[in-house]
Amino acid sequence: MIDHLRNLALAATLPIAVGLSASAVHADKIRIALAETPSDELAAFFVALDRARANGLDYEWTAFSDEELAIQAVLSGQMDIGFGTPYSAMQRTKAPVRIIFQLSKLKFFPVTTKKYSSLEDLDGEPILLHSRGGGTDAIANVIEDKVGIEFGDRSYVPGSANRVVALVAGQADATIIDLSNKNKVMRQHGDKFNVLPMFEVDASDEALFANLDWIKANADDVQIFVDALLGVWQDMNADPTVIRRETDPDGPIGQLPAEILDSLDTFYAEAVEGGLYDPNGGGRKAAMADLEWYSDAGQLEGDPSTLNIEDFWYMAPLDAAMN
Amino acid sequence: MPMSRSLVLKLLSGVIVFGAWEVAGRIPVSYAFPTFFESMAALVDMTVSGWIFEAYVETLRPLIIGLLISAFIGIALGLWVGLSNWFDWLVSPIFIVMQAAPLAALIPLLVMVYGIGLTSKVFVVCIMAMPVIVLNTAGAVRNAPTNLKEMGYSFLGTEQDIILKVIIPSASPIIFAGLRLGTSAGFIGAILSELKITPTGIGDIITYSRSIADYPSMYAAIFSIMVLAVLFLNFLERTERYFFAGNVRGYASD
Repeated sequence: MIDHLRNLALAATLPIAVGLSASAVHADKIRIALAETPSDELAAFFVALDRARANGLDYEWTAFSDEELAIQAVLSGQMDIGFGTPYSAMQRTKAPVRIIFQLSKLKFFPVTTKKYSSLEDLDGEPILLHSRGGGTDAIANVIEDKVGIEFGDRSYVPGSANRVVALVAGQADATIIDLSNKNKVMRQHGDKFNVLPMFEVDASDEALFANLDWIKANADDVQIFVDALLGVWQDMNADPTVIRRETDPDGPIGQLPAEILDSLDTFYAEAVEGGLYDPNGGGRKAAMADLEWYSDAGQLEGDPSTLNIEDFWYMAPLDAAMN
Repeated sequence: MPMSRSLVLKLLSGVIVFGAWEVAGRIPVSYAFPTFFESMAALVDMTVSGWIFEAYVETLRPLIIGLLISAFIGIALGLWVGLSNWFDWLVSPIFIVMQAAPLAALIPLLVMVYGIGLTSKVFVVCIMAMPVIVLNTAGAVRNAPTNLKEMGYSFLGTEQDIILKVIIPSASPIIFAGLRLGTSAGFIGAILSELKITPTGIGDIITYSRSIADYPSMYAAIFSIMVLAVLFLNFLERTERYFFAGNVRGYASD
């Protein structure tokens, strides 16, 4: 009987023990959790990774199917650096996770059929968004606040490209989509849809974050990485074609279909023109905008003026890179 | 005495699992992993606010429709497959392929054909639940004891008598086992469809709680659907014992 109990206890604790020891092992390579599979949007990031590797950074990346999984992987210590805007995770779980670089801004656009020509027209009208509690849901909340309207039924279809399909197929009359999909749909079906005028948003869509203890313990690696990112972001803002030129033909982006590679120049030219990438890596300006935005959007609790930037961002690597 | 011992063991298994959960949450194994009690508190909050009931109205719709379709059509098809070799060869491969298919990968195809509404979700439930019901029923019917069937014929039973009075009762334990497995698979299908197609009901609570890092609510929602599935399976077992008393043969444990 005692033997049975001992076996039972061993069987119950073994998976936990294996899990803990696996996450406790510190690999020499830094482990990067991507929130999506490599695509044109990640080309600039991979160029920065290549530059960082040339400066001695050893890394490996894993693509997760969504941002929340990438955040959870960093919170659990299975990954070192992740993609996303984990503000609610930082506030609610009190995890010592900090953002170190703003990768892209939340540049999304309300696109509708010709039925509507201003945001006010959308009062009481149904709208198609990404997911409840997600970025576009937040944008919808802030539009309601700023414009003084209330949307009708919100339905959710993840992925801007999928919402474009629904819009073109006539399953929806209004949605909020990202810059590249907005440009694509207006190029192909500009006669059928309107892009409604939108206020400027400086908040982050994607940012790079990691566990603060890990950042401090790996300050040199993090510095190489942030230096490379800042360099690429500045070069890209000066000349968007640098991304296509520096894309490693044997890397994950170089292996994408030729049509995507050929469209990289247009994609980054439009992105830079639309202000998607901050040449200064976000920093304090982005942090302030984020706290205000994510509070308005309901992801952060409390008055944004009482929130402390240091609880969410770790500026040292970016400050050092700027100098 | 055996009853009380089984109850004690069941409670003990609950205590071990929930205790391990509480300990893992307190270590914590991850900042994203809440304790058992935090999750239960979130479950109570959701119950008091009525949020969870609204969610279940959404989730149960495709689940119940899908399970009813799977049960009725599945058992009928299974009987036919079990009774006719021709039909077996024609139909069985479809269900074997359905059972083996990686459903999550097929969801974009279903969405393309049936859209993002209720129909796609019912289909996902059916694809998960029906193969196991059909194949179990067919196997049970095919393996109905030959001696009983021959006895029935020797008492001048008609084909209908043999099916209704010999084959179905003797196949009932396996048919119900198939129904229980199919129901479990249907629950998985319902949640899968809500996570992969459009987030509604419990799938919405899971994705929304995760996106605002309200992990206790997320685990509470997952816990609640597991409890519901167990209760439903228990209900099926009781139904089986009621209708086929004496013929359960150990498949329905309690």
